[in-house]
Amino acid sequence: MLAPREPEPSHRPLIPVAAATLVAAGGIGWLLQRAWKPEGDINHRAAQALSAGAAILCASVALDSALEHYRGKFKNRAMFVGPTMALLGLGAATCLAFRPDRAKDRLPKIALIAVGATGLIGMGFHSYNVLKRPGEIDTLNLFYAAPVGAPAALTLAGLYGVIAGEMLDGSDFVETRLPQLTAGLIAFSLLGTVAEAGLFHFRGAFQDPAMYAPVTIPPLAAVAIGAAALSPRAADFAKPLLQATAVLGIAGPIFHAYGIHRNMGGWYNWSQMILQGPPLPAPPAFLGIAAAGLGLLPALREREH
Amino acid sequence: MSEFRSPYPSYDVLDKWDSPSWNDQTREAVGRRLDDVPKRHFLTAEQWSLLEAIVARLMPQPDREEPVPIVPWIDDRLQKDRRPGYRYAGMPPMREAWTAGLAAIAAECIDRFGKPFEELSSEDQDGYLTTIQNGEVSSQFWSDMPVQCFFSELLLKDVLEIYYSHPWAWSEIGFGGPASPRGYVRTGFNERDPWEAEAADV
Repeated sequence: MLAPREPEPSHRPLIPVAAATLVAAGGIGWLLQRAWKPEGDINHRAAQALSAGAAILCASVALDSALEHYRGKFKNRAMFVGPTMALLGLGAATCLAFRPDRAKDRLPKIALIAVGATGLIGMGFHSYNVLKRPGEIDTLNLFYAAPVGAPAALTLAGLYGVIAGEMLDGSDFVETRLPQLTAGLIAFSLLGTVAEAGLFHFRGAFQDPAMYAPVTIPPLAAVAIGAAALSPRAADFAKPLLQATAVLGIAGPIFHAYGIHRNMGGWYNWSQMILQGPPLPAPPAFLGIAAAGLGLLPALREREH
Repeated sequence: MSEFRSPYPSYDVLDKWDSPSWNDQTREAVGRRLDDVPKRHFLTAEQWSLLEAIVARLMPQPDREEPVPIVPWIDDRLQKDRRPGYRYAGMPPMREAWTAGLAAIAAECIDRFGKPFEELSSEDQDGYLTTIQNGEVSSQFWSDMPVQCFFSELLLKDVLEIYYSHPWAWSEIGFGGPASPRGYVRTGFNERDPWEAEAADV
């Protein structure tokens, strides 16, 4: 009888890589938080954080969809729409984040509504792409056809932007249901992004234990901010979890860069691996959502008084 | 025979030599095929020249100044007795099959045409090879060899296999060589990665 074969132990320096990545991401996150100086009352600060979150989401979608649609050779002309609208959303949301005084302008609002609608239409296109393939809804197509959930990030960004515009228009929204509803939206955003990351990390067989991070911490953050919508005291739990989620959003591209290095040919073979390896621009979606959530927390807390 | 024109007239797979498509392992393996063509060890000089003549009809290379070497690699295979790992029922082991097959061809040609295969006209050579392909040979020379199997599964397969292992043949068909380290990203129908050969309109 043959003895059962033990798998060969990994020689990858996973722990040092993970530690260095998280330290670097934490440092970048700390610097970002220090540099972030929103002005005005709680309404204003929440609105600006939501706009910044929308801008980060749009930047992530713009790069990621440009890369993935390039991989798909822009076979369908409509594939230009996603990256283009994401850039438009990035412009409009950045404008709101840095020039809140111009929130009454119609243009950014219209742009953000259009961006949000594009996300819905994109999900339709991607669903069609899955359904037209043999096997329709099976794991193979969910893994390798157009990702059904990805365009939703544009819809979320559009919603964040529109909500930010509402908050900036001068009325006091702390006592309305808007912060609560927004907290619910952010919880939903986190869970959707977790589903996306979970699907693709499952496809990648969770071969690096760090791949479990985005399916463990952000769901907790989602629950916490959801709870904070109902009970202001839960905001205390939500803050560190959202901060951790934001750090993951920064750490993601670094981890993914290491993943590209680990692929056949590594970075020397970048022209293939940037398409085939883990997607560099995808993880900052977590940063965008977490930033929006962190900015909203004071408004949620305020409801106690 | 219709004239063959490569759809990739300006493509040379060897341009990938120093690119991220190839690594040291690739370069070593391909370099051996280019530079270390084996010398004759197993076949006799007569068998060698007969096989050269047969190969020239099975895989004609009129447009090449220097043809892709095929016979040296068959000889190398026989010398090292590197068999494919399987054998058709009724076929003798690889070495015996080649020796017996070449002997039968040599003898049958003298019998039919009164001169060796190498000295036949191209038409007669093709005609005779066709009779082997169709199994219409005389058992006096071939005894119990499954002749059609010898032609299709040994002779033709080895010739094509060796021809298309050579980078010059890869250039002709737009093949990129080993998919290591750089493989393929766009794997759907009619999709081409930027580092793949682009077919010209011919």
